[in-house]
Amino acid sequence: MSGDAVPWTLPLARFPSTDREATTLFGELRKPLLRYLMCLGLSSEDAQDVVQDAFLSLHRHLSGGGSEQNIRSWLFRVAHNQARNRQNSFDRRFSAPLDGAAETVLDEATPERVLLEKEKFARLGSAIRSLSGAERECLLLRASGLRYREIGEVLGVPTSTVADIVERAVKKLAEKCNV
Amino acid sequence: MCENSSKLVAWLDRELPEQEWSGIEMHLARCAECRSAVSAYQEISREFLFCYEAAMVRPAPRRRPRRLWIPAVAGLAAAILVAAVLWPRPAQRLSLRLPTPSPAPAMAFVRPVAHVAVHARPKPIRTQWVIVEPSVEVELPAEALFPPGAVPAGVSYIADVRPQL
Repeated sequence: MSGDAVPWTLPLARFPSTDREATTLFGELRKPLLRYLMCLGLSSEDAQDVVQDAFLSLHRHLSGGGSEQNIRSWLFRVAHNQARNRQNSFDRRFSAPLDGAAETVLDEATPERVLLEKEKFARLGSAIRSLSGAERECLLLRASGLRYREIGEVLGVPTSTVADIVERAVKKLAEKCNV
Repeated sequence: MCENSSKLVAWLDRELPEQEWSGIEMHLARCAECRSAVSAYQEISREFLFCYEAAMVRPAPRRRPRRLWIPAVAGLAAAILVAAVLWPRPAQRLSLRLPTPSPAPAMAFVRPVAHVAVHARPKPIRTQWVIVEPSVEVELPAEALFPPGAVPAGVSYIADVRPQL
């Protein structure tokens, strides 16, 4: 689902020390975390600050003998909460990052193709903006490669609820975009 | 609508238990409606992922710059208003219009009045306006004009300040 080579389960046991664990995790999860935070509406600078703080928290967590289970969802949850603290308005979430997506990726496409893609992404952007906050967050975390169980841990909801939300959100998008 | 339609996204995400996932897969082989729905969910998921990936490529969204000049101008106007109200005003100058000084009045020696009290300290100057057409006289105690002992006690002088017409 995600383009990143993030393993589903992180083999923490093979790392000899907590510092090594945190460093390796940083290399693997930094980019997905950054992308998630920027899609939440944070600026690049804020997203980088949040990621750094999240990994500092992880370092303290592991150094203090914290659980090594579900580290990925733990990191996303910490970053998610810090992003919420920094963000005054959730209305801007994932609306601005969509604007101009077609121009970025389709530089070498024909003008007709670019026009079609622009219209398509305009519809998709409008559809995404019509989603509720929970629906957007579930889709973003799903796009980050998190499993339903992990999404539930990040957002603090049961896995079955995540499945319902994702199902509803995907169907809404498909209907609004006439896919 | 097919009864399995509520599990198609979870099937797509491989979030169903193995047995249930296999059951849906078999169902899809014979249900064109669900196959079409799964195809749509796949496409919309791809487009969503495309936008999601693009978020890292494009520059980060910037907040609209605040119009800082609005509160600055408002604050300046408020400061001017407050200063105008509270600024200490200069004391109002009262113009004292005195009559133009007349030439030195003529002084006349008069007899002391019997009931004039003798004070150790100089008696304050009393002006006594006498309605004498058109005269103005001022009684001046001798102690105010001469050293002590130079003039008998109780002697006063009357200054006629009648304007000379």
